[in-house]
This record gives sequence, structure tokens and C-alpha cells, in this order.
Amino acid sequence: MAASAPVAGPRGSSGGAGTPPPRTARIPGFMVRYGRVVARNWLPWTGRVVAFVPTLVLAFILAVLIVKALPAFRYNGLGFFTKSVWDQGGGYNAVITNSGGATHLSGASFGGLAEIVGTLLTSFIALLIAVPVSIGAALVLVERLPRQVASGIGMFLELLAGIPSVVIGLWGSLTFGPFIAHHIAGPISRIFPAHVPVLDYFHGPAGNGQGELTSGLILAVMVIPIIAATSRDLIRQVPILPREGAVALGMSDSECARRVTLPWVGAGIVGAVVLGLARALGETIAVAMVSGANFSSLASNFYGGMTTIAAAIVQNLDSAFTDGSGFSIDVIAELALILMVITLSTNVLARFLVRRVSGTALPVGRGF
Amino acid sequence: MARRRIGLAYAAAALIPIAILAAACSSGGSTTSKPAASATPTGPALSASPPSGSVSLSETGSSLLYPLFGSWATAYQTQYPSVKITPASTGSGTGISDASTGAVDIGASDAYLSSSVRASTPTLMNIAVAISAQQINYNVPGVSNLKLDATVLAGIYTGKITNWDASQIKALNPSASLPDLPIVPLHRADSSGDTFLFTSYLDAQDPSDWPANLVGTTVSWPSVSGALAETGNSGMVSGCGATKGCIAYIGISYLAKTQAAGLSQAVLKNGSGKYVSPSASTIAAEASSFVNKTPSNETISLIDGPAANGYPIVNYEYLIVNSTQSSSTTAQAIRALIYWEITTGQGSSYLTAVNFQPLPASVVALSENQIKKIG
Repeated sequence: MAASAPVAGPRGSSGGAGTPPPRTARIPGFMVRYGRVVARNWLPWTGRVVAFVPTLVLAFILAVLIVKALPAFRYNGLGFFTKSVWDQGGGYNAVITNSGGATHLSGASFGGLAEIVGTLLTSFIALLIAVPVSIGAALVLVERLPRQVASGIGMFLELLAGIPSVVIGLWGSLTFGPFIAHHIAGPISRIFPAHVPVLDYFHGPAGNGQGELTSGLILAVMVIPIIAATSRDLIRQVPILPREGAVALGMSDSECARRVTLPWVGAGIVGAVVLGLARALGETIAVAMVSGANFSSLASNFYGGMTTIAAAIVQNLDSAFTDGSGFSIDVIAELALILMVITLSTNVLARFLVRRVSGTALPVGRGF
Repeated sequence: MARRRIGLAYAAAALIPIAILAAACSSGGSTTSKPAASATPTGPALSASPPSGSVSLSETGSSLLYPLFGSWATAYQTQYPSVKITPASTGSGTGISDASTGAVDIGASDAYLSSSVRASTPTLMNIAVAISAQQINYNVPGVSNLKLDATVLAGIYTGKITNWDASQIKALNPSASLPDLPIVPLHRADSSGDTFLFTSYLDAQDPSDWPANLVGTTVSWPSVSGALAETGNSGMVSGCGATKGCIAYIGISYLAKTQAAGLSQAVLKNGSGKYVSPSASTIAAEASSFVNKTPSNETISLIDGPAANGYPIVNYEYLIVNSTQSSSTTAQAIRALIYWEITTGQGSSYLTAVNFQPLPASVVALSENQIKKIG
């Protein structure tokens, strides 16, 4: 297949289509030149093969994950989604046994509730902060600030998006987390009452800066540049005429933004938010550094140690390799599969939303 | 090894699908790529000098052993410049897993190999290189030499005892003035030999409050409000230093750092009911009660022994090495390095800096026999 391409003659054989050689063999895609069979016009063929690579890679990853996770699904069952445990096996002298359709250490018990809830909750916190901030920043950048200032700030926005997550994680664990613990979480936790349902989740020990609040904020920091930069580019493309029309009708700036500018690019902004959500759901190392690494229970309060699927995978991989039965690796594959399902279904939901938003939400005529 | 290789195949998958098939086929076919080495240990006496030519050895694992291994590596490389040693402090679990997959030449661990690892990788050995201990530290202003036992510690780590002025702590320390301060239990986030030692102590002395399934390098910690997880011994020191009311288990090699961070050391109840602080004599006393029981593979827990004046949380520091090495040069270099560590490396100039104790002569002999198996 593609491997035969480089054998083509010394001078590019792709020109063969334009100047047909004297004798051509009747094999589609191949021809004879200087007595050798060479691929005719190899570029489209290579293109066709390469085009399938992403599909193949996705299929391969999914297939491997499913095969690897199958024993874990059989052994853990539905209980995996209702409890929070990370117990590789009954103590240090556990023996390798066979039960529940898997080879595992005696007494192994796993539940991914803490990981799943942690992933969704921190991403939710991140979006809760990031979406209004980003869209507000994008509106100001496009509509309020002078062009030079806006382009300067825009550059910093893009730089922020380019900071490696491990650097943000380091900053989070060394500086930002302790600051949150000492100056933000403490005062907030004292505002909330102790024994009122829901509200008491925000009460209690403020921790050491490694936990749910810090993870959510760190994710917000990483998501804001993505949503803001994309929204800014979208808002820039809103034509001036409908906006001028809105202003002429007596709308204020904020009304104009809410009723004309944002609906005009609503679908795109939903897309930008989903892009940010995907980043938040899958973000690994920065969260691992500030999560507090609590694999066996939900966060005790809003500030307590927690974990996400991605962080749990990277932090448990080493100890999983010390599991002689290899079952912990299967459970990690199960977690990875769950994370994949969550992100893929987010994407599907986003497509659905984009279609709906772009179908109905434009209050002004679309065609110029 | 096979797992790491499959991992590599996954990486290749992102590039060319054809490569996947080739790699998957080849890794499926061969489980161990090593040539069948002779099973009997070769007889020659051990030597501390490395093979000729430059060799590089990698080590990962125990953060408790790391300071000592680092000073050993520096001294050995000074003596034999042809050898390059790169140690890394990653936690004992990583040391064990990296050594078993062949990712590094030497793994360091405070814990001996679990029975499941011994079953799945029979060629892996744990070679004792020093005697270490673990301190229980706490950050409670104005309180020092607090007496604690496994029952109280298990109560703290299961969330039954939540305040420093709890009646159970008062009962052990009638004269101490304990403040009304919430207890913040710290545990290790990474897979750690210190976690294994600490949970072993709790289970050995109080199995009803701390069952055997909560013993290991990674355990499913009971949910305790306010509990924190830290990475590495250094993370425990800085985390406890910054948190009033915390309690933590920290390797004795970090003694100077725990003192600098203002942490106090608990006096622990030992196997014969006495309360003992960790010191050179109490650690040596505890270890000596186990010397004659140490089996030839050196897999033994030194926790909660019968010695009257022994400190209860003591352990052998192990190097985890695969007895079948892929190259004879690497094997010779590993043999030379570890032999040097259990002979010259036992000198007080190395051990006192980290508050470790040297191996007794009979245990040195056991380690030598294991080193001879590396080939």
C-alpha cells in the first residue's frame, strides 16, 4: 500500500497523470515506466490511507481499553458506580485468586464514584467561573477596548492558553493553593452554617489548599483562555450592521450584546464552552498536583481532598503495577473508558446543542 | 516488562497502524526476552569494583532511603568515576514496579515484596541494605513527648478520635496539657513503604481497629473529615509543618527536617507495652530481636517486636533487583554497587547522617548471598 510509494522513479511520478507514458499497464493506480511498475499519482492514494488513520487510532484505543477493562467490568459490576474504594487486595500478603470473571488479589475492591463525581464537579466549578468571565472578557476585548490595547491583551490570553499544565499545577500547589486555603477558603467556610443541609458542604476545615475548590479554580484558569480566545474571534465576526441597527433602535450596549451579538454567534460559543469542558474533564497533571489525592472517599467538604478520573489514573498507575495479578491495571482501563465515554457524550451533546442554538436563536435576519 | 512493551506499542499506534500489528505480534510472542541464565549462583567472591568501561545505573523508589542512596551514589561515583548512578525519590511502590518491569536497574523500597509480586515476578529479590525506622510526628504547640499507641493512632486515622484533647489521648498522657484542637491526619498520596510500615504497626498492635486489608503501600484510607494526603516524606514534613494540629508518619532519615519544621516526635508503645522514642539504641535493640529470624530471602517485618527497649516501627531498607539481568556488564555493576553499599557503605559517616543503623553481620551475609544471584 502506501509503503510502495517511495519506490517511484527518481523524478516525481505524480506528474504522470498529465503526460501519459507510451505504454501503460492496465492496473488501476499503477503504471509501467522505464520497465518498472510504479504507482500512478500516489498522492491521492496516500491521502486516502492517511485519512483513515484517526479513525483507526480511535478504534484501536477503544478496542484495547474495552478488552483490558472487561474483567474489571465483570468483577466490579454496577457497584463500581456507587462506592468509593481503591483497595488493591486484602493486605500485603494477599494471594492471586480467580472469581467474578477476573484474576485479582484476594479481597480486591474498587469503586470509582469519587473519581467520577470529582471529575464532573471540578469541571462544573471551572465552567461556572470560566464561562461568564470568558464571554465578558471577549465582549470587552472586541467592543470596548482600543484596538492596540485589545490586541496586546489578546496576546496574553493566547500565551495563557499555551502555558504547560504542569507549570500551572506547580503554581497551584506551591502558591495558589496555600493562598486559597489561608485567605479564601477559611473566611468562606466561616460564613456558611454548620448543620444546614447543602450549605454545610461549604463549612468545615479549609484544608491545606489541595482539594476540590483549588482544583476547580485551577481548571477555570486553564479553561478561561480557551473559551475567551475562541469567543473573541467569534464576536469579531459579527457584522457591524445588525449591531448598528440595534443601537439605532435604542438598545443599550448590554442589550445589544445580549440580544444581537451573542445570539449571532451562540452556536460557536456553545462550541467554545464544550472545548473548554473537554479540557477540564481530561486535564490530568495540574489537577493531580492540587487535588489532595483522595481516592477512597468523596471530598468531605467543598475544600477537602478529592480526585478526578484522569488524576486517579496517573497517580495510581505505579501502585497498580505492584499488583501481581494485574487486576488494578484493568480497573484503571475501566476508569479510562468511563472518562472516554463522558468526554465523547459531552461532544455529542454539544453537537446537538449547536444545532438547536444555530437553528432558532437568531433574532435578526441572517442573510446579507 | 511485557506491559511496558505493550505501552510502547500504544504510543506507536498513534503514528502508523501497521507498526501496531508488528509490535503487538512480537510482544505477544515473547514473555521474557532474557537468555536462560544459569540458575545456580556463580561462586566468585564479591567485589566492589565495577566492570571496566563506563556503566550507568538507574534507581527509583523509597523517599526514606533516597537521602542515603544519594550519598552512597556520590561516594561510589567519586571512587569509581566510570560508573554513573541516577537516583530518584519516587515512593517505594514505584521502585518495586519499575524494577519489576525493568524500567530501572535498582528499585528502592521500605517494604519487602508483596506475595503477589513475588508470585508474578519470581526472579525479583529484596536485598536488605540498612536498618531504618519511622517516627510519628505531630504539630501541636506546647506539647512534646506525647505517648501514643496503635489503638489511638487507628482511632485518629479512622476518624473516631478527632480532637487533641480527646479522652483516649488524655488517658495515655495524664500530665500533658492538651489543647482543644482538631486533629488533621496526614497520609501519603503516593504508593509508599512508609504507609506500609505505619499500617503494619497499627495492624500488628490493634488488628481489631485496623484490619489486615488496610496494610500495604497503597491503602484505602477510611474517610476522615479534614484528612490530607501528601506526596513523599518531604511533602509530609512541609505539609505537617504548615498545618496546626496535624499528625504524620515520617521516615527517620528526615529527622533533621522534622525538627527544623517544628514537629514533635511521639513516644510509641512497643510490643512489650513500654513507651519508647526512636534512637540509635532503641532501633538497634528492636532489629536485633529479629536478626536470627531473618529468612534467606530477607522478607520479614520488624514491626512491633518483643524487645523490651525496642522502638516498634523499624524495618530493613531494601533494594529491589531482578536476579536475571539482560547484560552481564549491568549485572556486574549492580553486584559491585550493592556489595559496596553493604560493606563500605555501612560506615557511620553515611548512616548517622540519616539516623539509620548498620546491618548486623549475619544479615550482611544473607544480603551477600542474594547479591551473588544477580547474573
